[in-house]
Amino acid sequence: MRKDYKKLMVIGSGPIVIGQAAEFDFSGTQACRSLKEEGYTTVLVNSNPATIQTDPETADSVYIEPLQVPLIIKIIEKEGVDGVLSGMGGQTALNICSELAESGELKRLGVSLLGTQPDAIAMSEDRELFKETMERIGEPVPLSRSVTSIQEAVEAVKMIGKYPVLIRPAYTLGGTGGGIAYNEQELVEICARGLAYSRIHQVLIEESVLGWKEYEYEVMRDSKDNSIIICNIENLDAMGIHTGESIVCAPCLTLSDKDHQRLRTSSLKVIKALNIEGGCNVQFAFNPENGDYRLIEVNPRVSRSSALASKATGYPIARVATKIAVGYTLDEIPNRITGTTYAAFEPAIDYVVVKIPRWPFDKFRTVDRHLGTQMKSTGEIMSIGRTFEEAIMKGLRSLEIGVKGLDSMNFTNEEIAEELVNATDKRIFAMGDALRKGWTPEKIADITKWDVFFVKKIRNIVEMENRIKSGPLTKELLKEAKYMGFSDEKIAELISRPESEIRKERISHGIIPVYKMVDTCAAEFNAETPYFYSSYGTSTEAKKDDKKKKVLIIGGGPIRIGQGIEFDYCCVHGVMALQEEGVSAVIINNNPETVSTDYDISDRLYFDPITLEDVLNVIEAEEIDGVVCQYGGQTSVNLAVDLEKALAGTKTKILGTSPDMMDVAEDRRRFSKLMDKLGIKQPESGTGYSFEEAKEIAESIGYPVLVRPSYVLGGRAMEIVYSTEELKLYVETAVKVSRNHPILIDNYLTEAIEIDVDIVSDGKDVYIGGIMEHIEYAGCHSGDATMVLPPFTLSKKIIGDVICICNKVASALEVKGLLNIQLAVKDNEVYMIEANPRASRTIPFISKATGIPLAKIATKIMLGKTLKDFGLSEYKEIDHYAIKASVFPFLKLPGVDSILTPEMKSTGEVMGIDQDFDVACYKALVAAGNKLPKGGGVYITVNNADKERVLPVAKELLELGFCIYATKGTSTYLRENGVETTTVFKIDDNMKPNAIGLMREGKINLIINTPSQMSGPVRDGHKTRRLAVELEIPFLTTIQGADAAVGAIRVAKEESFQVRSMKEFHKL
Amino acid sequence: MAKSYLVLEDGSVFEGEPFGHRAPATGEVVFSTGMSGYQESLTDPSFRGQILVMTYPLIGNYGTNDDYCQSEQVHTRGLVVREYCKEPSPMYGGHTIDDFLKHHKVPGISGIDTRDLVIRIRTKGTFKGAITEDKEGIEELIKKLQRMPSPSESNLVEEVSSKKIEKYNFGKEHCVGLLDCGEKSGIVRDLSKWFNVTVFPYNTPADVIVDHKVKGILLSNGPGDPSHPAILKTTARTVADLSVQMPMFGICLGSQIVGVAMGGKTYKMKFGHRGSNQPVKYRGKVFITSQNHGFAVDENSLEGKDLIADQINVNDGTVEGLRHRDLPLFTSQYHPEASPGPWDTSFLFDEFAKAAKGGRR
Repeated sequence: MRKDYKKLMVIGSGPIVIGQAAEFDFSGTQACRSLKEEGYTTVLVNSNPATIQTDPETADSVYIEPLQVPLIIKIIEKEGVDGVLSGMGGQTALNICSELAESGELKRLGVSLLGTQPDAIAMSEDRELFKETMERIGEPVPLSRSVTSIQEAVEAVKMIGKYPVLIRPAYTLGGTGGGIAYNEQELVEICARGLAYSRIHQVLIEESVLGWKEYEYEVMRDSKDNSIIICNIENLDAMGIHTGESIVCAPCLTLSDKDHQRLRTSSLKVIKALNIEGGCNVQFAFNPENGDYRLIEVNPRVSRSSALASKATGYPIARVATKIAVGYTLDEIPNRITGTTYAAFEPAIDYVVVKIPRWPFDKFRTVDRHLGTQMKSTGEIMSIGRTFEEAIMKGLRSLEIGVKGLDSMNFTNEEIAEELVNATDKRIFAMGDALRKGWTPEKIADITKWDVFFVKKIRNIVEMENRIKSGPLTKELLKEAKYMGFSDEKIAELISRPESEIRKERISHGIIPVYKMVDTCAAEFNAETPYFYSSYGTSTEAKKDDKKKKVLIIGGGPIRIGQGIEFDYCCVHGVMALQEEGVSAVIINNNPETVSTDYDISDRLYFDPITLEDVLNVIEAEEIDGVVCQYGGQTSVNLAVDLEKALAGTKTKILGTSPDMMDVAEDRRRFSKLMDKLGIKQPESGTGYSFEEAKEIAESIGYPVLVRPSYVLGGRAMEIVYSTEELKLYVETAVKVSRNHPILIDNYLTEAIEIDVDIVSDGKDVYIGGIMEHIEYAGCHSGDATMVLPPFTLSKKIIGDVICICNKVASALEVKGLLNIQLAVKDNEVYMIEANPRASRTIPFISKATGIPLAKIATKIMLGKTLKDFGLSEYKEIDHYAIKASVFPFLKLPGVDSILTPEMKSTGEVMGIDQDFDVACYKALVAAGNKLPKGGGVYITVNNADKERVLPVAKELLELGFCIYATKGTSTYLRENGVETTTVFKIDDNMKPNAIGLMREGKINLIINTPSQMSGPVRDGHKTRRLAVELEIPFLTTIQGADAAVGAIRVAKEESFQVRSMKEFHKL
Repeated sequence: MAKSYLVLEDGSVFEGEPFGHRAPATGEVVFSTGMSGYQESLTDPSFRGQILVMTYPLIGNYGTNDDYCQSEQVHTRGLVVREYCKEPSPMYGGHTIDDFLKHHKVPGISGIDTRDLVIRIRTKGTFKGAITEDKEGIEELIKKLQRMPSPSESNLVEEVSSKKIEKYNFGKEHCVGLLDCGEKSGIVRDLSKWFNVTVFPYNTPADVIVDHKVKGILLSNGPGDPSHPAILKTTARTVADLSVQMPMFGICLGSQIVGVAMGGKTYKMKFGHRGSNQPVKYRGKVFITSQNHGFAVDENSLEGKDLIADQINVNDGTVEGLRHRDLPLFTSQYHPEASPGPWDTSFLFDEFAKAAKGGRR
């Protein structure tokens, strides 16, 4: 039964980080909608502006504030919240709720915790308590001991009896700081790190179950102890590889019913023992030799796995968990998929679901790619098929890593052996190559500890490749290949024919995909839910809705660096706008974490890869009228030109800006020509087809220059080089230059201010959504830069110039929809860097900061409305500051340098918003996870050019009570100018005191280090930066950044800020 | 590649490939939504006379293993799958379902769009159908199917019930009887935790059972129509007679027979309940149950009778369990012995054991 509350709060999970991605936008949004349905007044808090849940419509009051206990308390008090949902915002929200409960604040405020209770959190998170609880109910756990020091860890291994052992830090995200130790040296190393990461300085030393199979159960339970399993999941990768890093399938394919029931029964016992009311995830290790199992972990909340389980089964876990949290029981909650049954049942599925993680290694060339107990992936894809082969082939091509399926990587036998033993992201491809070279499935299974069942499925794919290659491509063979999930493109590649020909031939044979429904019940009941996947068979269930106009929005695929949740936000807004206009909104996407793949969002959802073939298939099946390619980031933009070609002569149109104009913006030559014509300045540039040519161009432009390959989009492999030697190194190590693959060389505007502008245009008028000034100088990727809206240093004249340029470009590109422009300002001149006629990363940020939903408006414009219809024109001033700060994965990815460069490195973003600039800065920095010190030591070492400018910063820090350490040059300068400092040695001098030693001693709490530009930023100060990352010491590499941070520190000391909801900002 | 056909009485023909035993078969085409437990289902005597469609598209993934058999035979007349696994996981010994069906001389057909088929069954109800490799004979076969009586019109229980009284000693103090209408071995397994078990043929009269001094009687699952004349004459009568003499527990068909014996009526469902995920509400709580039945007790027919439908299906409100107002007699339409399916309701055996140990009321 529903309980009475006045106002309920949902806490989000903050920025996207490794281990916490869009799944909590999905769960938090579902939770809010679920509460609204029940008539509760809701308050939502999240620092991440790129989420759907921070939309004004999601909750009655939305706060974009840092997820910090003191701020949450302020909001609770201000709003009169009397209940907080604990389980919807991942580990972040759970930790906040634990803190609120432990500190007695909840009691003081008279607030109930809904959903997972503090004791359940403790029992599942505290390893020792978990072990005790499991032993009490007779469920087996690995031998283990919790330790708080390295010495205790060594003793714990003696108790366990043998290496390897697992090290698991308590209270961290995605296994941060954990690892496997094969000997004492490794044990010491990993424990030191793990202890540092653990919120309670505790790690667990555990018996190794490496090589055992790994199974997961998603469980729900209500207050009457009704408990059900939503889904079970089989990890193809054995124990030892984090489940977030594993390829998994659902349901479990290799468990007998008896063993499935053993694990199911155990899961139900566990959720009962932990007294969880809501959802939880239970992980098992299973010994294939003798059927023994061990309970490995329980997540007492919705998780990434539960998002996957929701999408895999159609069962809305977060929605139901929310209803349970407010007092309903499972048999009282209708199953909205069938409309006739209830939430109290176990989904039956009639397909195979595969999840494959998406790793960021394409962006980070120096990172250690090995997979283990620490998560490194940023996102994932899900695919659905009626055979395992079909699901895995669809999954691989959904990853957008440049493969068409199980492509060969041309591994040698040695490389294969290495990959199979020490898995990286490429292991499945190494398996393919091994099978191509005649390795037996048994041998591969033995090395990888995969069940040979799956290896043989991979072998089926390789055998099909051979059959296709040896031809002829008969109707029967083609049909078999399609049943196995081979794409037209893959088949075409195997027999060296064009994809379009295969498509034609396939269609002429009548081999066209059917669409099957995801309905929670394996077709037992008639379902209304429009959630489909493609397969091959004898009947299709996607009914054509002929009355309405239909528009397909192409989604953004998996979350990776450079393509985050922002694009999902845009897609969802596109859907909402279409629906507001009475148009049927159809989505194609393959990311199980997101809101866009919630079956409740669009009119019809197609869970499929986003390739030309798959998109065309949906267009044909649905008889789509228009396609939106602007919203899914590179994923959809890359398809625009090909789609337009393929759709020529049909009724289906690409909506908005024409693909040809999109191409003008992407093609350097065409774009430069246009800028020249418009009289817009661009940094001097050239194209080099060999090292010599590149060198000549660079010398004539003058170093430093910005270099990048011409054939890769999105800032990948973009670098600033300061000398010919560095240019040489670049072409030797990073990018091969040749006639076919030239490199582009741009003048790098040093110390220029960079600006991002987002614009909506209807082809005639232009509305400037927002002008954002970067805090960092140009040269730092705009996805990483700290941005301020509105500009805080630009003159009226410059802003006028910017607006003028925007108008010119928008009209020249005949933009209908969104346009993002990046500009640089140097010596009072504005330069064009690039223009992208599509949704940008900053659309949700601006929309939240100004209260104008740009993506919705742009969608309606694509349908034919004009800006006038919305009363929008020119540029709107706002009376507050919104600051976007980025979060970086450096902690999780050893080997990646933390210095910001033209190549994007951040995984997510936060927004700090306030009337006062410094408070907005404070909120942004804190929300992004920076531990702003209120006192202590600051280490300053700056290049000569920055010495003068660092002086006021140093003075203010001194005033704030900081003690200043500086290297000789900086120190001398500061002292000469009246700032007292302690001189320390440079790291390279190998003398004490130096920064590294002081950092380790805890004497340095803030670092200002501007790299010397002559030596190349990447190599300078690397050690200090790495240590700062590990010790979580804020590290500022620009004077502007330091300036902003000092303002924020003052705010932190004074604690004189307030919280405001979005409504209050926008006076809605 | 050889072709095989699944033919339905409404004239639908699905093309696929044969596996298992190569022979034609006819039967009532039913589907099960269980995602695991194919071997338990194939050997469940309740499937007698039926061609089983598995909604899960990959069947046979973990192979077959003697431990999972619910009887010594495969009772389904055929098996319809999207894909059968030729190379199963070796975790349980690695015999294939193909070999298993060959050994038991039951044909299978694979490559069928089972979801398409299931939607037709869901929409129109269960069909009579056939598996054949004779393409030319299909038209004739359809006519034959239309004329063919439903398998449940024959006395299927007779085909699966034990022919003589058998005693199983598990070293326990007390003995209970099992009236065998087609029992699954899981039932004996669960009873053996408490009792020695004496198995009686379905048509054993009450006095014979009483003579064996059993402390209670369990009425097993089984195939076919609970209101079949052969059952009304024998089992139902035995049940009526025994109910006043000893604690009684009916499972599945056993539950329906209890309903009939106490004056209730049963009916054939559109396509029944077959799977491992059926929610049942009992004493205010929901349990996930394993089910396999095509007939059900009509709750309205119990009005004025001594039976109460105290367990109800959460999805469709059908009767899932009966309880006598006065006597120690209760039933479950579902399978507390699982095999396949969840173990959540094994407490019913505890309840039966308690009643049986308590002796007569």
